[in-house]
Amino acid sequence: MGAATAILTEDQRDCYQELTNVAMGQAADRLARLLNAYVVLPIPKVSVIENSDLNMALQGAHSDSSVSAVCQGFIGAGIAGEALLMFNDTSFASLASLMKYSGPLSQQAELELLMDTSSILIGACIHGIGEQLEIVFNQGHPVVLGQHCDMNDLLNHGNNGWNRTLAIEIHYTIEHVNIECELLLLFTEDSVKALNRKIDYLLD
Amino acid sequence: MNLNVLICDDSSFARKQMARALPPEWNVEIHFAGDGVEGVSAIREGKGDVVFLDLTMPNMDGYGVLETIRRDDLPAMVIVVSGDIQPDAQERVKALGAMAFIKKPIDAEKARGVLTEYGILTGA
Repeated sequence: MGAATAILTEDQRDCYQELTNVAMGQAADRLARLLNAYVVLPIPKVSVIENSDLNMALQGAHSDSSVSAVCQGFIGAGIAGEALLMFNDTSFASLASLMKYSGPLSQQAELELLMDTSSILIGACIHGIGEQLEIVFNQGHPVVLGQHCDMNDLLNHGNNGWNRTLAIEIHYTIEHVNIECELLLLFTEDSVKALNRKIDYLLD
Repeated sequence: MNLNVLICDDSSFARKQMARALPPEWNVEIHFAGDGVEGVSAIREGKGDVVFLDLTMPNMDGYGVLETIRRDDLPAMVIVVSGDIQPDAQERVKALGAMAFIKKPIDAEKARGVLTEYGILTGA
């Protein structure tokens, strides 16, 4: 990581973390109202990582279980990124019961749950960060990367050719039930320069 | 003697944002703490007549600070300033003795509103 961290100063990293903190709180509030449950908010992790380390970081988070994942691109004001939301597959039974689904949980029903929750979490988070930076992000269509798959397969799919990535990781859990997901916001290296200019303006 | 105001947040950006949002004519001593543990020591040293408290912090979070204040009966009026805007979070901190809740991001208008509402500013 040594050289890679150089593209963010500590003040900038702190500022990204705080902006994320506010945005993820807004997203959690919307999810909490939908599920009628309390979303536990962690401290988000902001880092600059090499693409090869990204795979390792993600595998660390979900190495022992199968996952389902959605990604969605966003773009605005010369800044482009990708949001990636991964659910532990064990989460769907609890999600279904909180959303009052009845009957057996089909693959189709799980897909709906995945799309509904990801649209809320990704949408509100991107909007929340954009709002604080006075950027309007346009979101692309969400893409299901896979259901019930191994993280290795998922990541081989997503080799995007970026060298370094600003990564913001948010690990959401829901209190008292077995629901766990990881939201990852990835910005391209070129976008980080534009983002840092916005951040420096806030830090002034 | 001036009122002592403590800003307790793990983000230096958030601490600065909070300090800047305080009414300029409010004649107070401003102190800072970077987590709950530092916050509680500052309150014990008398630096927190009024405390602006974040919830999500390492070492000891805002809930821990509120519990400590209540358990040890520390003299502090606490205004929680948090990004966790779930209705549950607001109820929990009020139940733990917080006087008010401000949604992040903080701005001058929100700060003045709460300080005026609770009669803290008029005493300045």
